[in-house]
Amino acid sequence: MRKMLKKTMAGVMMMSLASAALAGCGGSSQSGSGATTAAAGGSAGPISGQTLQVMISEEPGEGDALGNALKKWSEESGNEIKQIIISHDDMLSKFPSMAKNNDLPDLVATTRLHQLYPEEFVDMSSVLDLSKFNESALKIVGKSYSSDAITGIPDQYTTTCMFYNQDAFQTAGIEVPTVENPWTWDELYENAKVLQEKGGVKYGFAADVSRARYDILMYANGGSLVQQDGDTFKVAVNSAENVATLERFVQANNEVMPKAIWAGGTTDNPVEYFKNGDAAILLSGSWNYNTFTTEISKFAFGVMPTPKGSAGQGAIIGGEALAIPANGKNVELAKQFIQWLFEDEHYTEFLQIRKEPSVMNDISYVPDTDKAKEDFAIIQNETNYVTDTFMVDESSSWRTYKDNEYRDAIKRAVAGEITPQEALDGFAKALSESSGWAVAN
Amino acid sequence: MKKKNPAFCHTKAFWMFVLPSLLLFGAFFLVPLGLSIWFSFTNYDGWKTMDFIGIKNYTSILTNADFYKTVTRTIIYTVCNLPFKIAIPLLLAALVTSSKLKGTTLVRTMIYIPVLFSALVAGITINWMFGQEYGLINFLLQKMGIEPLQWSLNPVLATVVISVASNWISAGYYMLMYVGGINNISKELYEAASVDGATKVQAFFRLTLPLLMPTTFIVLLLSTVNLLKEYALVQGISLGGPGSSTTYIVQYIFDQGFNQYRYGYASAAGIVISLLFIVIAMIQFKATKGGGEV
Repeated sequence: MRKMLKKTMAGVMMMSLASAALAGCGGSSQSGSGATTAAAGGSAGPISGQTLQVMISEEPGEGDALGNALKKWSEESGNEIKQIIISHDDMLSKFPSMAKNNDLPDLVATTRLHQLYPEEFVDMSSVLDLSKFNESALKIVGKSYSSDAITGIPDQYTTTCMFYNQDAFQTAGIEVPTVENPWTWDELYENAKVLQEKGGVKYGFAADVSRARYDILMYANGGSLVQQDGDTFKVAVNSAENVATLERFVQANNEVMPKAIWAGGTTDNPVEYFKNGDAAILLSGSWNYNTFTTEISKFAFGVMPTPKGSAGQGAIIGGEALAIPANGKNVELAKQFIQWLFEDEHYTEFLQIRKEPSVMNDISYVPDTDKAKEDFAIIQNETNYVTDTFMVDESSSWRTYKDNEYRDAIKRAVAGEITPQEALDGFAKALSESSGWAVAN
Repeated sequence: MKKKNPAFCHTKAFWMFVLPSLLLFGAFFLVPLGLSIWFSFTNYDGWKTMDFIGIKNYTSILTNADFYKTVTRTIIYTVCNLPFKIAIPLLLAALVTSSKLKGTTLVRTMIYIPVLFSALVAGITINWMFGQEYGLINFLLQKMGIEPLQWSLNPVLATVVISVASNWISAGYYMLMYVGGINNISKELYEAASVDGATKVQAFFRLTLPLLMPTTFIVLLLSTVNLLKEYALVQGISLGGPGSSTTYIVQYIFDQGFNQYRYGYASAAGIVISLLFIVIAMIQFKATKGGGEV
């Protein structure tokens, strides 16, 4: 009997221990009420003496445009600001918990929440005159995945771009490509080898561990994740051109890139490799420009045009939006901040600090030096390389079905665990099962 | 007047004593367990969707090659590490209970200190030490003219780093259990063995080891469970990479639940794994006769 009891208790404990972690973080399936009710409310007069809770993704640093705007608004309006810092990835799991516990912030600076859960956010057409805003920015950064509602107003509009170490290029005797005469991807890999040999850098090329960065190679080679099929889509991620692109990327990782980063064995950030002068070329995004100007002092850096693939050049635009949770405690206060921020005078100041493309039609960032003007012209030009295939992929909202699995499949291919064909076939199958779309190939 | 049954009174007192523990156990173990079982039959995504889908999650798990690969990897990791989890603390315990050792308290404290570290913090520190580009170990190797090692790229090296860290962080805890066991062994037995001409080594293998079997059984059971559940350390050191070569079962479940929002699937995987753990524990009980008999 005692033996039996001992065994049973051990069994129950084992089962409980393995299950507790999961269920402990679970909860009910009830969701918050719809956004429209709150959004439809009439605008109140200026509010003061309240606290605006803002959820942002990182600790505000030097040159923090949003932090500066919040501080200024707080002083002008007589309201307090309370910042909650949660990374963009963690927001995806924390926000549902906050919603379930009725503990939502008043304002969220997010890359995806408003698109994934549009019914939880205020429709921005009830807050601002959206005709003043850049249509692409609204469509790609602000729009819900499941409807045409603009549930977030872009505060950051970014594009992928390539940074280069000017000193390393000079040392290696390599001429910088121009907008009129860009490199091909093969030329980039060849020059990366030369930079490794003669440029005094450890790696010729590094890229952020992000499928959005990797995808510009795919789009440049004519590939896409899905194809339009009447009113629906077909999964095209494992097409022959995509497999070839991944094979070349794996090879580049073995030859000219810090392989451990894309193989997933380290938490090292390639941006740091570039800043430390260990990588000569960095595929990242325009959001780094401001940081680089203040943090890179060891060498001169610049921005170069994205190389061409077999189908042309590719770029991905994206960014961050400010969204107002419909069930937040101070919805009106959040609306007043948004309206204040996008007044011409305030947004102009905001943009000059942020040093990025504008989301408003009549306002643009004016760089203060000739070098910055040159770089910014290249960054602005990158937005012309956004392909139709990217727009189709975005319109499918494929990320609502599968997302991180795509990057993980690429990582496993880079690590040599599976072949590029197996990696993309596996993801195509998973996306097809999850979305109900047929596989095209 | 009807007399109260003494047995009943005893039972009531018994329940009064166990009630607080029972409430905590129920709230933090049994309720989550019940929820997990329920979630495993749904497509729960952590927030909005929760439809009953029968045994679909279970069939999906049992036909998923990645799940089997991860389970196999976890079992290999556990089996390879178990001997070290027992041998190292046992040898350390033998060392710190030796009358020849000076500064016993200091040595015991030094060995025990890693137990106090958070596994995640220890993992992040080890990750920094073994970083491929900017790590301390590779820096020292290069200073000595040795080629830096590919800790972050070679699956075997990555697993070795995790194993070393796991043993380092747990050795002090198991050592204390062995110290308690060794101190409970009667000194007379060693004196008798000495009179019979047994050497120190013979006494260790013929007396100490067999008499420590109940302790060894507990260490074996706890180590097995902890190795099978290894998570925070791996998360801090390698994030399951390179590729998925150090992704063990709890990370797999965590990833499915919290990164891919497949709470239902992850719950089902948790239940399947729990059953597997129970089977492993039962085999250990059977093989060692609960540590009670040698």
